[in-house]
Amino acid sequence: MAKAFKRKGDRFVARLDDVEREVVVGLLQQTQDFLEPAHREPTGDPFDDLVATLGVRPLGDPALTPQAPFDPALERLLPTANREDPALAAEFRRLTEHGLRERKTANLATAIEVLLAADGDKVTLDQAQAQAMVVALTDVRLLLGERLGLQTDDDADALQDRLEAASEDDPQLYLAAYYDFMTWLQESLTQALMS
Amino acid sequence: MWRWLVRYWSQLAAYCGAVSIAPAELSRTEIAEDTSLDSPWITLVWNDPVNLMSYVTYVFQTYFGYPREKAEKLMLDVHQKGRAVVSNGPRETMERDTEALQGYGLWATFQKDE
Repeated sequence: MAKAFKRKGDRFVARLDDVEREVVVGLLQQTQDFLEPAHREPTGDPFDDLVATLGVRPLGDPALTPQAPFDPALERLLPTANREDPALAAEFRRLTEHGLRERKTANLATAIEVLLAADGDKVTLDQAQAQAMVVALTDVRLLLGERLGLQTDDDADALQDRLEAASEDDPQLYLAAYYDFMTWLQESLTQALMS
Repeated sequence: MWRWLVRYWSQLAAYCGAVSIAPAELSRTEIAEDTSLDSPWITLVWNDPVNLMSYVTYVFQTYFGYPREKAEKLMLDVHQKGRAVVSNGPRETMERDTEALQGYGLWATFQKDE
């Protein structure tokens, strides 16, 4: 039975059993796969390749064109940064997306690592690991929330009813339960970080 | 045309900083905006159903170094009004704030202040 995060001195401690840790690690890994920056094959153009190593998308990158497949979860995890000026928004994305993906992926990797290194059921984080974990849990919840169709505060409230009804026909029941568990875990870690 | 003219006059008055020749209503607006003349860009955070109220407060405290009370007030503005201006300044700074807040998973955008 899981025990929420609590601050103990300069450490943050929770108890999660094997199955719980496995679920959390699985969700962190899926989010990591989703956010990992795409590996770019060398284009043959020395300038574009150099720019790519700096983490900036070359101008005319096909991923920027409207034909590129678009996942709404991506819009939530890496939102359009300017709602009034599409050119500024595109420029912001070109300059920041790679770095944001890298940092988010690194946070998720830290979170996975500490869970895999748990001593039995005891998960212990230092300050930096706790900060990485609380952000990683946010990204997992943003992705799950999008998959669950949470668009408004009312949708989020309705999720609780859905869980209580626990209908076997609800194909998203597992997702909803995972989301609820991640929310509980994140809330406890946030409170511990603020205490 | 009239709109443009009024806008022009009110801007001119604001830049001159002294005597306002704009109608009373407009000059009140200009006074309110006076402090942001050097920093006409803002960072906004928008409400979303996923981010926890505690976490949004934590981010405002951690990233901006805002005291708990100010961070909570901003968080409540986001939650109740749908969005809040969390910082203002030059465009580069607002882009940096937006990038950092998006890194935390908040729904942050930047735009010119109006």
